[in-house]
Amino acid sequence: MDNRQSQPYTRDKQLLLTGYFLFYFVVFLFFSIDHRLLSQVRPIWFGYNRDLTELALIATGLPRWMIAHPMSFAAADGLAFLLPATLLGFAWRRGRFSPALGVAFTLFLGLYLLLADLFWQVHHEPFILYELLSLAFWTNREDRFYTLLRGCRYYFLYLFVSAAFWKIGRGGIFNGEEMSRILLVHHSELLSGDCTGWLCRTYAWLIDHPAPAQGLYIGAALTELAFLIGFFTRRYDRLLLGLAVLFVVADWLVMRIPYWTVLLGGITLWLDTRPRQPVMVVYETTHHENLPALLDCCEDRFPRVVVFLKDISHRNISGRESLAARWPNTTFIVQPEGKPNRVFIRELFSWLRKNRCSHLHLSTLDNNLLLFALRLCLAGNLQVSLTVHEVNEYFAYSLGSLRDWTESLAKWLLHRRIKQYTFFLPAMADRFRARMPHATAVFIPSRFYTQPPPQPVKREFFTIVIPGSVDPNRRDYAAVVRFFQQWLRDVQPARPIRLVILGNSDSPYGADITTGLLQLESPPFRLQRYSGYIPETLYEQELGNADLLWSPLRVQKQSSRSSPETYGQTTASGLTADLLLNPTPALVPEGFILPEPFRTALLPYGSALEAGVLLSRLLDDDDRREALRQEIHAAFSYFTKEHFRKAFAALTGLEEKG
Amino acid sequence: MKRWIIGFFILQIGVDLAHSVTVFPFVHYGMFSESFARPDSVEVFEVAVDGKRLRPADYAIYQWDMVQVPLQTLEKKTATNDYSIDKEKMRAGMERIGWTSLYNKLTINLNNTNSFMPWYRDYLGRLLGTPVGTVRVNRAWYRWTGGRLVLVRTENWLNG
Repeated sequence: MDNRQSQPYTRDKQLLLTGYFLFYFVVFLFFSIDHRLLSQVRPIWFGYNRDLTELALIATGLPRWMIAHPMSFAAADGLAFLLPATLLGFAWRRGRFSPALGVAFTLFLGLYLLLADLFWQVHHEPFILYELLSLAFWTNREDRFYTLLRGCRYYFLYLFVSAAFWKIGRGGIFNGEEMSRILLVHHSELLSGDCTGWLCRTYAWLIDHPAPAQGLYIGAALTELAFLIGFFTRRYDRLLLGLAVLFVVADWLVMRIPYWTVLLGGITLWLDTRPRQPVMVVYETTHHENLPALLDCCEDRFPRVVVFLKDISHRNISGRESLAARWPNTTFIVQPEGKPNRVFIRELFSWLRKNRCSHLHLSTLDNNLLLFALRLCLAGNLQVSLTVHEVNEYFAYSLGSLRDWTESLAKWLLHRRIKQYTFFLPAMADRFRARMPHATAVFIPSRFYTQPPPQPVKREFFTIVIPGSVDPNRRDYAAVVRFFQQWLRDVQPARPIRLVILGNSDSPYGADITTGLLQLESPPFRLQRYSGYIPETLYEQELGNADLLWSPLRVQKQSSRSSPETYGQTTASGLTADLLLNPTPALVPEGFILPEPFRTALLPYGSALEAGVLLSRLLDDDDRREALRQEIHAAFSYFTKEHFRKAFAALTGLEEKG
Repeated sequence: MKRWIIGFFILQIGVDLAHSVTVFPFVHYGMFSESFARPDSVEVFEVAVDGKRLRPADYAIYQWDMVQVPLQTLEKKTATNDYSIDKEKMRAGMERIGWTSLYNKLTINLNNTNSFMPWYRDYLGRLLGTPVGTVRVNRAWYRWTGGRLVLVRTENWLNG
C-alpha cells in the first residue's frame, strides 16, 4: 500500500480487503459446491419476493432475457469471480482502490444477489453487509473509509438489535410454545424421516418440551439485544464479536441455518476505527543499556512515553543521571521482582487497549514469543516496531521441541504483523533488509554520544576494561589470560596495568579465568573483578576510568537458540553501547568489523603479538593516546539525536520532524 | 458522508416499519419473530428419484434446500396464479403515478411461461451428480403425535 498513507489506515485497508474477499470467495465456493451458481441452476422462471427493487428488475425484462439466453448465467458467474479479482489485483498492485472498479463491483454484486433471489431464493439478509462494506472500495480517502466502516458497524449491530425488537414487537418472545412450533415446521422434512440422529432426536425432544425450547428462543433474543450496547460504546466490541459467533453456531445447531456468511460484519467490530492517542509504549526486559537513544527519540516525537520494564532495568537505565531529569515526559511502569512475566505482559496489552495508544516498541523480545504474537494479532492497527538483537535467530524455524514449535509459529506471525524494525548496527539492518525486503529496517544506536571534548589525563594505572558477562560463548577470556601470561613475561610496562573484568564472574568459567589472572598479580599488574549484577553507575564509572577497552569477542557465536550469528553483521555486542559512553579506544579481534564512525575507536588485532604491540603503543605514547581520543570524539559526534530523526520517523511511521 | 449514512438508516428504519415489503438493500431481520400458532399438520414435499426417496440427512443443508426451494416456489407460483396479486399491485401503483403505458410495455417481462418438470429433473441430475430417469414428488401431511410426526395423508403432485 501507499507509503504516504498512515500505517493504521494501510493496515486496516489490507485487513478489510483480505477479510472481505476471503468471505466473498468462500461464499461463492459454497454456492458452487451446493449447485447454486446461476450457471448451475440454469433457471427457467423466476419468483416474486415482495421486494420493490426486484420488481423493478423483473420489469426491465432482464430475468426473462437471461432465461432465453442461458449463456448469460455463465457470464454472470464469470463476472462474479473476475470483477473482484480485478479489483483486488488493482489494489495490491497500485496500493489504492480504483473507484470505478469499486462502483462496478458494488452494482454488480447487488444485481447478482437480486437475480439469485429471483431465481433460487438466496435470502438477502446476510449479504447486505457485503454490499455496504464494498462501498469502502469506492474511496481512497482515509476519513471516508473509516466513516463507512463506522456506518457498517452500526448496520451490523442494527441487524441483531432489530431482530430482537421484531421478536419482542411481534410477540414471538411471549409465546410459550413459539420455539417448539418453529422447530416443528422448520425441521418437518427431517422429522418425517426415520429421525435416528442425535440432532433430530434433540429437535423432537425440544418440540415436546416447549419450556426449554422457548428458553433457547429467549436466549437468542437476549443475545441479539445485547448488541444494543454497541451503539453506546466500543468497549465490548470483541465480546459482541464472540456473541455473534456464538449466535451463528447456535443457529446452525438448533435451526440448521448456516448463517456464517453474516460474520463478515464482524470485521467492523474487529477494526476499531476510533483515533489512537499519540503515545509510545516501550517494552523492555533486562537490556536497559539499549534504551537511552530510543527514549531520547521518543521524547522528541511523542507527547507521552510509557516504558514497561523490569525493576532491575528501571534502577539501572539512566546511570548517574536522574530518570525524571533525563526523560521528563516518560512514565515507567515497573515489573517488580517476583511478578511473572506473562502477568506483566498481560498488563502491558491491557494498558495499551485501555489507553488506545498509537505505538508499541518491543525493545527486547527473547521469550514468550507466541504470547506476544497472538496479543499483537489481536491489537488491531496498533503500530508495532521491534528491535532485533539476532538477525539469523529471527528467521530460524525449528521444530525440535514444543518451545521450538511455538516460537516458530510466533515468528511466522510476527513476520507478518511487524513491518518496522531497528538495529544497533547498520550491517544488521542491511542483512535484515535482504531477508525481508518490504520491511522498514533502520539503524539507531543504543545511546547517543554526549561527552564533552576529552581533556588529557594520566592516571597512576593504565586501566584496561573488559566489559560484558563472563560467558565463554561470547568472549574468549582464556586468550586474555594467555596474553597477559606471555606479555608480562616479555614486557616491562611503563605504567602498572589495572585489568577490570567488568561482568559477573560468579560462574565456574569465571572462577577459572579470575584464578588464572590472580596468579599474575604483581606490582605491574592488578586485577579488578566483580560478582553478581554490576549497578549501572559503577559500570559507567569503570568505563569512564578506562584507558582501553578490550572485547575479546568470538566473532562467530551461537544465538540464544543456537542459530549461528556473526558479531557486527547479524548481532551486536554490548560493546557498541559501551563505546558510546566515552572516547575510549577498544581492542577487538580482526574479524569484528564495524563501519565508520564506530571504526575510529577500534584497534583490531589478528594475533596476541599484534594485540601486545597495540597495547604497548598506547601505554608508551601519551600523545598518540590523546590524539586517538580526540579522533574518536570527533567521529562519535555523529551519534546525535538529530542524525537519527529520519530513521526514527521511518521506524514509527511518523512524518519526519522539521 | 455522515449525512448519507444517517439517510440510509432513516430509510432502513422506514422500510422496517413498513414491514410488508422490502426495497433491496433495505431488508428486514424479523425472521421467526411472528407468534406461531401450533399447526394442525405440516406439509412435506417427498421427492423420489428413480423410485428412491431423497432424505435430508444425506445432503448438505443448502443442497437439500436446493431440492426443496424450487418445489416451494412452484407451489407459491401456482397458488398465486403466477403472482397475479403482485402484478396487479404493480399495475395499480404505476397507474397511480401515470405510468400506465410503461406498465403495458413492460407487462410481457412479468410473466413466467416455461414448464417446471423437465428443468427440475435436469437440475436434480446436476445436483445429485447422476443421470435422473424419473422424478416423483408427493405432497405429504404429517401430524405431531406421541413425540414424532405421523403421516396423515399423501398425494402425488408431480411426475416427470
